[in-house]
Amino acid sequence: MNLATIPLRNLRRKLPRTLLSAAVFSLGIASVVALAHLSKVVGDSLERKMTAFGANVLVTPRTQSLSVGYGGLSLGDVSFDMRYLPVAETVAAVRAIPMKDTISVVAPKFALLTRVGGVPVGVVGVDFPSERGIKRYWQPRGDFPAGDDGVLAGSAAAAALSLDLGDAVTIEGRTFRVAGVLAPTGSEDDRVIFADIAAVQRLAGKENMAHFVEVAALCAGCPIDEITAQIQAALPEASITAMQHVVKQRMAAISFVKHLALSVSLVIMLTACAMIGLSVFSSVNERKNEIGVLRAVGFSKAGVFSLFCLEAVLTGMVAAVVGYVGGVLAAGIVPDILETGATSAMAFDLGEFLLTFAAVTALSAAAAAPPSLAAARLDPAAALVTL
Amino acid sequence: MLSAIDLHHTYAPGATPVLRGVNVAIAQGDFACIMGRSGSGKSTLLYALSTLLRPTSGQVLYQGRDVFGLSERQRNALRGSDLAMIFQMHHLLPALSALENVLTPFLARLRPVGAKAVARGMECLSRVGLADKARRLPGNLSGGEQQRVAIARALACSPKALFADEPTGSLDSGTGDKIMDLLLELNAEGLTVVMVTHQPDYAALANRVITIADGRVAQAS
Repeated sequence: MNLATIPLRNLRRKLPRTLLSAAVFSLGIASVVALAHLSKVVGDSLERKMTAFGANVLVTPRTQSLSVGYGGLSLGDVSFDMRYLPVAETVAAVRAIPMKDTISVVAPKFALLTRVGGVPVGVVGVDFPSERGIKRYWQPRGDFPAGDDGVLAGSAAAAALSLDLGDAVTIEGRTFRVAGVLAPTGSEDDRVIFADIAAVQRLAGKENMAHFVEVAALCAGCPIDEITAQIQAALPEASITAMQHVVKQRMAAISFVKHLALSVSLVIMLTACAMIGLSVFSSVNERKNEIGVLRAVGFSKAGVFSLFCLEAVLTGMVAAVVGYVGGVLAAGIVPDILETGATSAMAFDLGEFLLTFAAVTALSAAAAAPPSLAAARLDPAAALVTL
Repeated sequence: MLSAIDLHHTYAPGATPVLRGVNVAIAQGDFACIMGRSGSGKSTLLYALSTLLRPTSGQVLYQGRDVFGLSERQRNALRGSDLAMIFQMHHLLPALSALENVLTPFLARLRPVGAKAVARGMECLSRVGLADKARRLPGNLSGGEQQRVAIARALACSPKALFADEPTGSLDSGTGDKIMDLLLELNAEGLTVVMVTHQPDYAALANRVITIADGRVAQAS
C-alpha cells in the first residue's frame, strides 16, 4: 500500500465517472494529436500545391542591368548588352545544393523579341515539362507542344496575330505549329508565344543559354534565405533573388492552417483541463469529511494535495496513452474522410509519445492544482463539522 | 498530560463565542467524559484538545508543550503518533478495505506502508475482533463493525490519548455498549480517553466528567 492506493481505489470506486473523464480527456488529446499531424500534412500539401503556382527564387546573370519586365526581365531590352546563364550547368548547380530536396522545379527561360507577320512579339523559350510544374494554372485550349516545332500562344498574342490551333507561324524564318492557345491568365504570359527553349536558342544562335532561371523551392517553415544563399554559393556569377512576396503569401496561408489547428487544439485542451478541474472540485466537495479524517490521522496539507492531484494525474496518464494512440489512428483516417488529397501515414513516434505523455501529465496536475489546493487548505475542524 | 488554559473560540467574527475561558486538565490514564447540551461547545473543546481546531485564544498544553506554538508539521506528526480521534460516524474511506483504512495513518508519512505496519494493522484489527474481516470494504460491515475499524485505525499508531466524539451516537444501545466496553478496556490498558457523550450511563463509567454549558465548564469532577 502506498500513496497512490487511495486515488487508485477512489478512481475504481467511481468507475463510470473515471471512465467518462478519461474518455473525454482522451478524445481531446486524440483530437490535438490528430490535428497537429493533420495541420502539418495539410500545410505541406498546401505548399506543394501553391508551389505549382509560381516560382519563389529567380536566378539571373549578375551583370544584367535591364529593368524588370517578364519574370524580372524587360523584353524590350533583352537584345542589348545581354548576359546569359548556361542552362545545363545552372540547372545542375541548383539541383546539387545541400537543400536540393526542397527544390521542386528549375525552369530556364530564353526570351527573344521578334516580329511575326510584321507584328512585334516576344517569344519565350521554355522547357515545357518544367514550366508546367510551376504554372499549373495554365489551361491551354489544345495541347502543350510535344516537340520542338510546336508553340503555345498566349491569349492576347494569339488574338493579335490571329493564331488558332494548328496554324503555322513563322518565327525568325522557322515555321512552327500552334499546338495550344492559353486561356487568359491576367499575366505577362498572355502577351507572348512560348516555344521549346532549345529551338528558340537555336534561332538566336545562343544554344544552352538562358536569360534567367526560375526556381520553385518547397520550403515548409521556409528557410528561403538559406536556399538563396546555397544557390548563390553554387552560382557565384549569378544574381539570386528570393521573391519574398511569393514566399510570404505562401507562408501566410500555411501559417493560417497551422495557427488555426493550434488555436483549436488550445481550446480543446483548455476545455479538457477545465473538465478535469471541475471533476476534482466536485470530488473535493463530496469528500470533505474524508479530508477531515485524513487530517485527523496526521495527513499534512501536502499529503491531501497529493492525493487529489494524483487522481487527476492518473486519469491524465491513462488519457495520454489512449489519446495518443487514438490520435495516431485518427490522423491516418481523417485526411481521407475530409478528402484533403493529402497522404498522411502517421507512425507511432516514441519521442512524440513521451512528450505528449509528459505534457498531459503536467496539464492534468495543473488543472487539478486549484481544487487540490482548496482541499489541502480546508480547515480540518470545519471539514469535520460537516460530519 | 493535557490541559486547556483559558480557551476562547468564536467560529466567525461577531458570532456568539462557543468557548468562553475553558480550563480543563486531563491526566494520563484518565477516562474523561465531556457532557453538555447541543451547542454548548463540548465538541469544539474536544477538537481544540485534539489539535484539530486552533482556538481563538488560550493554550492547549500536551506534555507541557503549547501545541499551537508548534509548527503545523509538528502538530500533524503529533496527530499521527500520540493523539488519535474517532467520530460519531465511523468515517472510513469507502474505497479502502478495513485493513487499508487501519493503515491510513501510516500513509500520512507519505511513504509506502511496510510489512511491519501491516502487521500492526492486523494486530489492531484483532484487538477489536475484526481480523477475519480485514479485506472487507466498509460497505460490507455493520455499523458497530465500522466503528470498531475506526477504533483500530485510531490505535494503529499506538497513541497515548484517544479523542472520541460521540462514538456511540449513531449505534443501537447493544452495539454502543460493546464500543463503550472496548474503550474502557483500552483505557484500562493505559490509553487516555477523552469522550464527548450525551449519555449519562456512559459518563457514569468514566473517572472524570466535565460538563460544559454556554462555552464554560459548569461542572468538573
